[in-house]
Amino acid sequence: MTQTTEATLYLCDLKQNQKGIIQHCAAQGMLKQKLLSMGFIPGAEITMLRNAPLRDPIEIGIHNCLVTIRRSEAALLKVEAA
Amino acid sequence: MIKVVLAGQPNSGKSTIFNVLSGVNQHVANYPGVTVDKKSATLKFQGEQFEIVDLPGTYSFSTYSLEEMVAKNFLLDEGTDVIVNVVDASNLRRNLYLTFQLLELGKPIVMILNMMDVAERRELEIDVDRLSEMLNIPIIETVGTKRGGKKKEILNAISRAGKITIAEPFKIDYMEFESFISKIEKMITYDSTISKRWLAIKALEADKVILDKVNIDKDTIKDMTSSIHAKHDLDVDQTFARVRYDSADVVYHKCVKEKNKNLDTLTAKADRIILNKWLAFPVLGFIIYLIYQLSIVWGYKLTNYTWPLLATLKNWVVTLLPPPDLHNVPMMTDFGIWMVNSAIALLNYVPIFFILFALIAILEDVGYMPRMAFILDRIFRKFGLHGQSTLPLVLGGAFVGGCAVPGIMATKGIADDRARLATILTVPYMNCLAKVPFYTLLLGAFFKEDMGLMMFFISTVTLFIALIVARLTTSTVLQNRETAPFIMELPPYHLPTFSGVLLRASQRVWLYIKKVMTIVLAVAVVLFVLLQFPGVSTEKKAEFSQQMNKALSQFDKKVQNNKYYTHVDEVSEVSALINLYDSYKAQRMLAGSKSAVASLDAAFLAKSPKLFPLVRPQDKEAKKVSKATRKLSKANKKLQIETKNEKITNSFLGMFGRALEPLTQYAGFDWRVNVAFLSSFAARESAVATLGSIYEKGKSNLSPEESLAQDGTYTPIHAASMLLFMILTPPCIATMVVVKLQTNSYRWMLFAIFFPTALGVVLSVLFFTLALKFNWSGVDMMRNFYLSAATLTFVLSLIKTKQSGWQVGKSQ
Ligand SMILES: Nc1nc2c(ncn2[C@@H]2O[C@H](COP(=O)(O)OP(=O)(O)OP(=O)(O)O)[C@@H](O)[C@H]2O)c(=O)[nH]1
Ligand SMILES: [Mg+2]
Repeated sequence: MTQTTEATLYLCDLKQNQKGIIQHCAAQGMLKQKLLSMGFIPGAEITMLRNAPLRDPIEIGIHNCLVTIRRSEAALLKVEAA
Repeated sequence: MIKVVLAGQPNSGKSTIFNVLSGVNQHVANYPGVTVDKKSATLKFQGEQFEIVDLPGTYSFSTYSLEEMVAKNFLLDEGTDVIVNVVDASNLRRNLYLTFQLLELGKPIVMILNMMDVAERRELEIDVDRLSEMLNIPIIETVGTKRGGKKKEILNAISRAGKITIAEPFKIDYMEFESFISKIEKMITYDSTISKRWLAIKALEADKVILDKVNIDKDTIKDMTSSIHAKHDLDVDQTFARVRYDSADVVYHKCVKEKNKNLDTLTAKADRIILNKWLAFPVLGFIIYLIYQLSIVWGYKLTNYTWPLLATLKNWVVTLLPPPDLHNVPMMTDFGIWMVNSAIALLNYVPIFFILFALIAILEDVGYMPRMAFILDRIFRKFGLHGQSTLPLVLGGAFVGGCAVPGIMATKGIADDRARLATILTVPYMNCLAKVPFYTLLLGAFFKEDMGLMMFFISTVTLFIALIVARLTTSTVLQNRETAPFIMELPPYHLPTFSGVLLRASQRVWLYIKKVMTIVLAVAVVLFVLLQFPGVSTEKKAEFSQQMNKALSQFDKKVQNNKYYTHVDEVSEVSALINLYDSYKAQRMLAGSKSAVASLDAAFLAKSPKLFPLVRPQDKEAKKVSKATRKLSKANKKLQIETKNEKITNSFLGMFGRALEPLTQYAGFDWRVNVAFLSSFAARESAVATLGSIYEKGKSNLSPEESLAQDGTYTPIHAASMLLFMILTPPCIATMVVVKLQTNSYRWMLFAIFFPTALGVVLSVLFFTLALKFNWSGVDMMRNFYLSAATLTFVLSLIKTKQSGWQVGKSQ
């Protein structure tokens, strides 16, 4: 994992209510399929809604749906702040 | 016959529609992943036969999870005539993603646009005609939860769709991939009703099931995809997903108008409070408290009204059994009473379970369950469980009491295999409601002053133990099981429907009743045999008979100058009198009002005109007989109980209990306690019944609590040790059977029996010995046990597991 520019953001780095656009999904296998089928595709807009009370997992909004995902998995989705 | 399958994304209402069509009651709830197995029903409509199959929801068509496998196998089944695609109208764009893949299959499709009410609330205007035209399929708008549904319309559409054959299936342009798709298409020789193009697309996605089907090997595909990657820098999966989403987008924008773009939905508003960082746990705590208050506290009050009904039932059954001949109770009668007692002890909980399960059903319908998973996942994950373990643990009694049987049944939906097994193994540690009578018996006998505190220890320590066990098993025996990511949709809040809640609660209660009627009663038979045989020795029998004769002659002396003597001058008459006296007393206890007593009296008098006046005397002479009868009845009862105790002492189970004594004595259990625990294996309630009957001394004015306390064999630390074992005690037979069913392995079932037993023995021996050594009181012992469990849980939560959660690939 190389920090190329300052702007390299991952889904888990978004602040509450911040919006982002998915750039790339680094997951493999089952996780990748699941993410893709739930709409985590490059170009999709997502909103970070909140952390769980214990910080992990997080709740995000994507395609009008609410989805909860653990931080470890959210760390695989590169996003661009919108 | 038309074969129909219901397919669609999770939580879109497939099962609801299935229920509307078939009239079957398939489980419905407001969270994704409720249906795990397929369920089918047949029906007849306008002379046509339909077979309808409800499938698990899938977002797409990969074959990674069990539900997707089940769904896919059905859709690929050659016999399927029509696919009914249930679509959540409020979420059309994402749902279309799956719809496209269904369309590509090349089979007739009917779309059901469900949840129209939600779409309306969100101010989405859907141009259904346009959508139907664009996709070239019939579409029916529905609100699945509304009564009546649109059964006729749907079935008509299905029957029409079943008659067409699709010449050219729906096509999406995959751009750069098209040449590869047609290349694979040519390689496929497999003859099928499914579109070749679809098979080719799936093959290109390297779908194992399809590759096997069309007989193309993986490497061919791999070569292809890597050449695409080299040429266009495109990833197959991502591109396909994007193309499908883009197409969905196009359709969506043409057919849907969002009248109010920035609609702040009710769900979002509610979540701001319910999932708030600071309020989430207080809200959860409040909900738990409410459930406790409504189901346990009020439920117990309700059992005060239902218990007399069960007791009446029991009395009625007893009247059907052959009456005892003085102290010799016929085996048949003993057996009947034993069985009835076993059954009603369990049935007594029905009101509590009903309230409890109804409340849980409301939580499920509202949509709180997945949110609870969201709140608790972090904690669960630390111990190897999963956010989805919440519901099973709640049903098993994590809140306030429950039953492991429905709890374990609910583990089916957990995607993470390791967490699923760990959940199955930990649910039995939850607060089984049936253990409560045992707790109250011992607490009432030994901890009158500290009852509240002890009950608190008992009911909350179970959570710590469950977490510890989950952590231990997942980092040892379950270490190598597959795990799965936690990605879950949080559905919008719905208002629960009254009938839905009622139905679900009754289904779960029925499951419980079935358990009572089948497994528990079967085991009760076995236990009865083990407790009855080989029986009382001849010498003892003679001794008892002698005592009986003495009591009889005393009775005779008292009444021989009485004017009613002729009514009771024969042993058979005396025996009948005693039975009449006992049965009258039992039924009199249940008759509350004066008029009830009067009618009871009348009934008895009509049945036994000669003897009943002696039981309920009206004159002085009769009173004398009645008094003597009471005395004789008492002596008789005492002998009956002594006989029973002698039987238990000599029984196989008694022998087994004594054989275990050398070991269990270190935990403070004598053979009688062992027998009680052994019999609790059938159903926990039996422990109380057995312990109670062993200690029943025939002094009927003493409650079981008092006779236990006065017996002097046990001290509070003995009792604490028993409580400790009971907390850990192995699950009952019914639970074992479901463990077997859900894990599909006898090994896990045996593990689920022996692990807790071993743990229980070791811990009660340990704490009993420590208590003796350091002179702890019973409360000290329980508190120390509680603190150790809490500390261990805390320490374990600090240690990082090597493979916590889902193993993920490195990001670039
Ligand atoms: N408001 C509203 N709620 C509905 C409608 N249809 C179904 N529901 C509710 O939506 C929830 C999900 O319904 P299910 O039938 O369990 O969904 P499913 O598609 O079978 O879900 P899985 O089996 O998990 O894939 C339940 O709470 C239903 O009561 C509808 O038309 N309107
Ligand atoms: Mg379903």
